[in-house]
Amino acid sequence: MGSKDRVWEVFRQEAEGDPMVHGGSVKAPDEELATHYAREFYGRRQESERLWIVPRDAITELDDPDLLKPPFDRSFKRPGGFLIKHKLEAARERAGSPQVEEAGE
Amino acid sequence: MSELDAETRAALAELLLAMADDEFVLGFWDSEWTGIAPILEEDVAMSSVSQDEIGHAKALYELLAGLSGEDADRIAFGRPVDGYRHAALMNHARTDWAFSIARRFLYEHADAVRLESLAASAYQPLADLAVKMRREETYHLLHFDLWLRRLAEGGDDSHARLAEAIGALWSDAQAVFAPMAGEACLVAARILPESLEALRARWLERVIPLLEASHLPVPAATDRPTADGRTQRTDEFAWLHGEFTMVSGSEADATW
Repeated sequence: MGSKDRVWEVFRQEAEGDPMVHGGSVKAPDEELATHYAREFYGRRQESERLWIVPRDAITELDDPDLLKPPFDRSFKRPGGFLIKHKLEAARERAGSPQVEEAGE
Repeated sequence: MSELDAETRAALAELLLAMADDEFVLGFWDSEWTGIAPILEEDVAMSSVSQDEIGHAKALYELLAGLSGEDADRIAFGRPVDGYRHAALMNHARTDWAFSIARRFLYEHADAVRLESLAASAYQPLADLAVKMRREETYHLLHFDLWLRRLAEGGDDSHARLAEAIGALWSDAQAVFAPMAGEACLVAARILPESLEALRARWLERVIPLLEASHLPVPAATDRPTADGRTQRTDEFAWLHGEFTMVSGSEADATW
């Protein structure tokens, strides 16, 4: 073995319906042994509903910070839109606060 | 099943002790691979399979203890060397990896045949336990079939070592099905649904084609194993016995 070993990434699902979560990896020369070892490491204590065993070299990795961490504020692109919490707090401060509660009287 | 008579009870105790000792002693031998198996992943796999066997032995000893009123730990650890009833197959030391794999392959198939039959036992607690054990043994079978194939195909050295080990163990492996004093009684009561010789025939039908498929020499047919297949002990087993009773024997009546 040794030099012929490949690394296999193991994903596990804890309960039916849960997302598959990366558990870790095992070394094995082929899919058959990788399956056995994945079971030993991530499934023999009834902790997994199912496992995905993926050769690491089948995974396309993207970790370029220019692509993943653009330097400008792009918070408006998030589903929640702009973060206005801090702006709102500052505005209330300027206005002299507890107006909100008295407004209805 | 209604209350067991004394003869049936004794016969059942003999069967349970034989099965428990098979699992217990093999579990100890193969746990010796912990830390030194060929690769880290296999180290964990072999250790975990060995623990499974000791877990199965525990369940069987507890069933026996319930029958005899003894303590399961005392049965497991409290007997002298010649009080053990495992098959001669488990008399041998771990030796090399090929030898351990050869033994596991021969044993796992024998155990599978035995458990399949016992799943239909008229003694319900044993039938229930057999069903439970079989679920774990499914993986054991897969794992050791895989290793047999790999070592057989892994080159001249591993093929030769494996072939030699199969040859050396063949006759002692038959002893898993060595006749028992109470066998006729167990078969009549349907506690053991088939004779041990019928089980041995089925085991041979499974093991021989697998050996042939891996181009391993099939040893010559052997006669029916004799009753001493479960009573003869070796120096190698005596050494192992010293190891696994070292702690329990250090203070006989201690509570752990």
